[in-house]
Amino acid sequence: MNKNVKVQVTHLTKKFGELLVLNDVSFDVYDGEFLCIVGPTGCGKTTFLNSLTHLYEPTSGEILFKGEKIDLRKHDIAYIFQEYSAMEWLTVKENVRFGLELKKQYKGINEKVKDALELVGLTKFADYYPRQLSASMLQRVVIARAFATQPELLLMDEPYGQLDINLRFRLEDEVVRLCKQTKTTVIFITHNIEEAVYLGDRILVLTNKPTSIKEIVTDELPHPRDIAAPEFVEMRNRITDLIKWW
Amino acid sequence: MSKKNQRARALAYGGGTFLLLLFLWEILVRMTDSQIPFPTPFAVIERFVDMLFHNVGYYYTIVGHVLWSLSRVLAGFCMAAVLGIVLGLTMGWFPYVRAIFMPIFNLLRPIAPLAWIPLAILWFGIGEKYKYFLIFIAAFVPFTLNSYAGATHVDKQLVGAAKMLGANNAQVFFEIVVPAAVPSIFSGAQVALSNSWMTMLAAEMVCATEGIGWIIIAGQAVNDMTQMIAGMLAIGIVGFLLANGMRLLERRCLVWNNQGN
Ligand SMILES: Nc1ncnc2c1ncn2[C@@H]1O[C@H](COP(=O)(O)OP(=O)(O)OP(=O)(O)O)[C@@H](O)[C@H]1O
Ligand SMILES: [Mg+2]
Repeated sequence: MNKNVKVQVTHLTKKFGELLVLNDVSFDVYDGEFLCIVGPTGCGKTTFLNSLTHLYEPTSGEILFKGEKIDLRKHDIAYIFQEYSAMEWLTVKENVRFGLELKKQYKGINEKVKDALELVGLTKFADYYPRQLSASMLQRVVIARAFATQPELLLMDEPYGQLDINLRFRLEDEVVRLCKQTKTTVIFITHNIEEAVYLGDRILVLTNKPTSIKEIVTDELPHPRDIAAPEFVEMRNRITDLIKWW
Repeated sequence: MSKKNQRARALAYGGGTFLLLLFLWEILVRMTDSQIPFPTPFAVIERFVDMLFHNVGYYYTIVGHVLWSLSRVLAGFCMAAVLGIVLGLTMGWFPYVRAIFMPIFNLLRPIAPLAWIPLAILWFGIGEKYKYFLIFIAAFVPFTLNSYAGATHVDKQLVGAAKMLGANNAQVFFEIVVPAAVPSIFSGAQVALSNSWMTMLAAEMVCATEGIGWIIIAGQAVNDMTQMIAGMLAIGIVGFLLANGMRLLERRCLVWNNQGN
C-alpha cells in the first residue's frame, strides 16, 4: 500500500462546555486505506466525524484533507450518518440521484443510480417512498446515495447497526470490494470489533472519555477474511482486551 | 369487518342522525305557536332549489352569489398563501429574517380579522378590495405560522446529509427546508381556508350587494327566515366541499406522506 497521507489529524481536541470529549488526538489516514475506528460507546466517535466534516468546530487542533482544510463543496466526501437520513419526499431512486444532482454530475447519472441501487439490492423498490420501507432498507438507500457520488473519502458511522446479519455480511464484502476497486479511502466507525477486524486495514482503538488513541492495530489478513480463522480470532480478542476500560 | 362494511355502516349512522334531526325540526315547527313563521325543513329545501334557478335579488341565482363569494375567498386566500408561505419559511430558517419580522408579526397576529373591518373600509372603501384585505388577514396568519413551524422543525439530520453531499445554503433551503415543510403548510392551508370562508361572510354581511353573506342579510331585512336558512345551507355545503377539496389536493401532493398504502 502506498503511504500517501490523505487525512491528517493533529492535536484534535473537542469540548462540549466542560465535557472534554476528544483529548489531543493525532493520527493520519492513508490514501486508499480502510480505517476502522472502534471505541466504547459515548467516547466521541461520532463527534470525531462531525468535527472532520465541520458539522462541529473543533475546540483546537486541525484536520486536513490532502493538505487542505476540508471544504465539502470542493472535496468529494460522503458521510453516512448513524441515524437514517433519507429524504422522505423523494423516492428511493430520487434519493440516490439527489447527491449527484446537487453536484451537477449529470453525466451517466442513470447508470450510476442503477448500479448503486443494484449494489444494495433495492432495484425493485426504486419507486418506493421511504415511509414504505423497513429500517434496514432505509439505511441501504443512504448507502446507495453515498456510493453513487463515488466519493474520494467515505465516512461511515455504524452504518450497519440496524441491518440483519446476512445483509451485513453481503454489504461488508461489497463495501470492501468497491472501496478497493475505486481506491476510496474509508473511515468506518463501529463498536462491533468483529466487524472492524473483518473490514479494516488498520483499526484505531479509542479509550474511554476523555478520549485519546489507545492503539492502532494493523490488520493485514487477506480478503475475504475468515472470521473463524485463528489469526482472526486472536486479533479480535486482542482488540477486545484493549477496549476494556474497567 | 371489511372496510366496505364499515363505510356503509358509518354512512347509515350519519344519514340516520341527519334524517332524525330533520324530523325533529319538522315536529317542533308544527308544535310551535311563535308569531314569526318558522320554516319547515321541506320549505327550506324547496326554497334552496328555487334559488338555484331563480335570481335572489336582481342579478344572480344562488350559484352566482356563491361564485362571487368564492372569488373573494380565492383572491384573499391566494395572496395570503404567497406572502404567508414566503414569510413563514424564511422566518423559520433565516435568523435575521426572524429577527426583523417576528416582533411585528407577533404583535399583529392576535388581532382578529373582524377587528380590521372599520379600518379596512376607511382604507379601501366598501368595494372588493376591502373584502380581499380582510380575507387576506384571516388566511395570512395560519399560513405564516404553519410555514414557520414547518421550517423550524426540519430534521437537522437531513440538513446535515444535504451539506455532506455538497449542498450550498440555497440548495439546503430549496431542496430540504421547503419540501420538508410542505405537510405543515398544508395543515396551515386547511385552517386558512376555513378562516377565509368565515371572514368572507362577515365582510359581506357588513357591506355587499351580492354573495352568500348578502343573501342572509337581505333575508333578515325582510324577515324572510327561509331565505336566511337556505343561505346558511349553501354556506355549509360549499364550506364542506372546499375543505374536502383541500384534503384531496393534499393527498395528491403528499403521496410520500401517506402511510400504509
Ligand atoms: N452536540 C453535543 N452537545 C453536547 N454534548 C455532546 C454533543 N454531541 C455529543 N456530545 C457528547 O459527547 C460525547 C461523545 O458523543 P458521540 O456521539 O461522539 O459518541 P459516540 O462514540 O459516537 O457514541 P456511540 O457509540 O453511542 O455512537 C457524549 O458524552 C455526548 O454526550
Ligand atoms: Mg456515535
